[in-house]
Amino acid sequence: MSTETETETEAEAEAETETEAETTTKVEIDAEAETGSEQPLVRVDSLHKYFYEKNSIVDRLLGEEPVAVRAVDDVSFDIHRGETLGLVGESGCGKSTTGETLLHLQEPTDGAVEFQGRNVFELAGRHLDRFRRSAQVVFQDPFSSLDPRMTIGRIVQQPLDVHSVDTEADRRDRVQNLLEVVGLSADQFDRYPHEFSGGQRQRIAIARALALEPEFVVLDEPTSSLDVSVQAEVLNLLDDLQDEFDLTYLLISHDLSVIRHVCDRVAVMYLGEIVEIGPVENIFAEPKHPYTQALLASVPRASTDEKERERETISGDVPSPRDPPSGCRFRTRCPEVIPPADLEIEQSTYRDLMNLRERVESRELSLELVDDGEGNRIDGSSGRVGNVDVTDERTGDETRAIVGAVKDRLFSAGDGTLPGRHDEVVTAALEAAVDDDWQRAAAMLREEYESVCERVNPGLGEEAHAVACHLYGDPDELVPGDRPDGESNVGRERDERE
Amino acid sequence: MSEDIIRIRDLSTRFFTAEGQVNAVSDLELTIERGEVFGIVGESGSGKSVTALSVMDLVESPGEITGGSIEYRNPAFADAIRDTHPDAVDGELVDLLAIPRETRQSLRGTSFSMVFQDPESSFNPTLTVGEQLAEAVEVQRRASANPRSTRARTNRSRYSLGSYVLSTVLPSQRYVTDESRNRAVELLELVGIPDPVERADEYPYEYSGGMLQRAMIAQALAGEPDVLIADEPTTALDVTIQAQILDLLSDLQEETGMTILLITHNLGVVAWMCDRVGVMYAGEIVERGQLEDVFDRPTHPYTKGLLGSVPDLEGAGGRLQPIPGNVPSLLDREMPDRCYFADRCPKAMDECLEHPPEFDVEGSDEHAAKCYLAEVEYTESRALPADYFELKDASETDERPVAADDEEPHRTGSGTGQETETTPAGDGSTSGSGGDSE
Ligand code: SF4
Ligand code: SF4
Repeated sequence: MSTETETETEAEAEAETETEAETTTKVEIDAEAETGSEQPLVRVDSLHKYFYEKNSIVDRLLGEEPVAVRAVDDVSFDIHRGETLGLVGESGCGKSTTGETLLHLQEPTDGAVEFQGRNVFELAGRHLDRFRRSAQVVFQDPFSSLDPRMTIGRIVQQPLDVHSVDTEADRRDRVQNLLEVVGLSADQFDRYPHEFSGGQRQRIAIARALALEPEFVVLDEPTSSLDVSVQAEVLNLLDDLQDEFDLTYLLISHDLSVIRHVCDRVAVMYLGEIVEIGPVENIFAEPKHPYTQALLASVPRASTDEKERERETISGDVPSPRDPPSGCRFRTRCPEVIPPADLEIEQSTYRDLMNLRERVESRELSLELVDDGEGNRIDGSSGRVGNVDVTDERTGDETRAIVGAVKDRLFSAGDGTLPGRHDEVVTAALEAAVDDDWQRAAAMLREEYESVCERVNPGLGEEAHAVACHLYGDPDELVPGDRPDGESNVGRERDERE
Repeated sequence: MSEDIIRIRDLSTRFFTAEGQVNAVSDLELTIERGEVFGIVGESGSGKSVTALSVMDLVESPGEITGGSIEYRNPAFADAIRDTHPDAVDGELVDLLAIPRETRQSLRGTSFSMVFQDPESSFNPTLTVGEQLAEAVEVQRRASANPRSTRARTNRSRYSLGSYVLSTVLPSQRYVTDESRNRAVELLELVGIPDPVERADEYPYEYSGGMLQRAMIAQALAGEPDVLIADEPTTALDVTIQAQILDLLSDLQEETGMTILLITHNLGVVAWMCDRVGVMYAGEIVERGQLEDVFDRPTHPYTKGLLGSVPDLEGAGGRLQPIPGNVPSLLDREMPDRCYFADRCPKAMDECLEHPPEFDVEGSDEHAAKCYLAEVEYTESRALPADYFELKDASETDERPVAADDEEPHRTGSGTGQETETTPAGDGSTSGSGGDSE
């Protein structure tokens, strides 16, 4: 992150503050309108949010290293006035944490968020107050987000009371008006939340978010707990409100069809990073990042062609954000992970080999029980036959049997055989593993198969439709060792921790 | 091979709550053919989950199956009980509601088994996955060694407090043979768990959500059931994991030829998986037929509304067509004898004030809908005034809360309702836990 730009913006902000202190509201509005044309309303710059586990005093006394959960890891994007930016990804990708941190509901670990040109994390006094009014949030669960003991009128009015807007009577009028705006009726002011259905409660939450006439609303899974027919109503309402009040939305959702329907631009997140961002049509019509492609392919379509649809889905689970993969974080599941340039290999075989490497490196490969042909079971992992430890006296035949069984299991598509040279390499590595020399096994495989995708974390470009993937990068940049960020990525959390 | 394996006739399941009688399922008719994937789709409060629980005989107090029959085709079973319960047997079919509960429960696992939305609740946290699978295998073995045994402990499909206590008193390694253990490993392999030998020794918390869902499917397959009932099996999962699980279910279905009854709120999941489908609303199947009948030639305005309210992944934005109004009340006293959808139906007419029977409609032979539009053209002159129900209901039920409890009672217990409209999140987020779990 460049310190230069930061100081610049700070200076700017300060200068502005001084002038503003003396000026009238009108000038302020003019200034904003002016900047609005070129400056984004919200600018997220290298935002990091780590949660630390094992970080209690006791842990530290015991010498336990705190473990960073990198929920949001160097995320940057702009939100333009009047648009809806979608943030989409699966659970644990950091999308909700991004939303909460950019509203300063969470302390950032690093990075900046500018709202109307000012760093949100450094606001105080009048500016903070103004930010708190201009930026609002609607959460997913309309059942827990509304205080059951308050009437819905009070709930909607609360922000007005807190900020002492107008007189009590005016506020009540305003709330009644808001209730109508969101499709409820003014005479429901004195009802309680439990008297309303889920869709209606979400309307109440929306009315409350609008009470202070915000410019910017973060919608965090606003319809995820609603039935589809009710969801449609709420989405239509949000659309109407955006037009009526010139709102800017950040819509956080796991639901790609909602994102498709509502957003102007979309950012796709995976394991704390943005992997692709661009206009909604581009993302859905020509997704570039293999993860975006897999995500889209995975969504079941409500159409009778669905059974015939060719779909490339991905296997495996999302790795832990405590220890994300080096390089590209999607590489452990990516169907297009890039083989070394001089290697001749089928993509699917390469994927299998990369999976094997993963498991050898984490020593999670099962050296399965195989029959030694005499009714004895050899457990390759412990080197036992029945109750007798035979590691030392394991015969070459037994080793071969175990290796063969592992290959059969892992490369079942090709009858357990690998083309030519790959078979030799894998067999030798597996034999090392059976001999309990996992390190050597891993090294042998790494030497042969290391991918640029594991060395270098691809950056997100600056284009309107940007993608963080080496398939779209400049091939010259992919020369091994050319860019050191692959290595430093591992230690980055250290450096950037405050 | 279109032989029916399950025939449900006039099934009614009611809940007797403090608020009154809740008609979760009313006069349901349903035929499931051997080897097919039948989908029941509906929103919260439609009765789809209660239907599944009724077939599994898992309806719990204050719920009760109050009428109808559930016939199951199984020649061996029919022979076995013909002597003791001749009335329940009709050829190869046995009416499950006419035999003693214990006998019926002995079918669990071997004839029917169930997969739920949340695998956590199906596993005991203190035992390894392998042990629990082996135990399920063991139980099935004993049950099939003695098919009429009423003592078969087949109630492993749901993890109960009872078994929790038992398992803490008698920790692990209970009466499980090596054979069962090996079978458990095979089952884990069958459902695509890598390194099944090692994974069998792990505890449920060491599994990811998708893995645990696979393990639950393995558990359900332990008894090689004829019919697998999957209740929102992918709703709690992320979309890429959902795709894996749907693929797995399809593959298993193809390999084993088992019949699947799939319960879901997700029309996309139905389209992906199902041969035939029934759309439920207010405890009834309001439209059914081949997938193409229902998706391409919907007749019932609710089916149309449901299809119209799904945002399209391929097409551009534009307005969605929501269904106005709320999920219906299922309280008996609030269910007037009319079309239950009439108060939300854009085409409600005079005749709709009488409860519609099921009509055949255009399409395949099986395409049918409970709606007068199947018989008569919509005419403005007979339309009910737009505010007809508002005026009528205003007096007592103005803006009343949503339907009484019906959905997922196995999760919520016998709650009193109110929450019915919170359906699990679409397309597979972790419902209710706030999406991201960072
Ligand atoms: S950088 Fe490599 S691993 Fe990552 S998405 Fe692109 S091709 Fe796949
Ligand atoms: S029967 Fe009448 S009210 Fe009911 S769905 Fe058909 S047209 Fe609508």
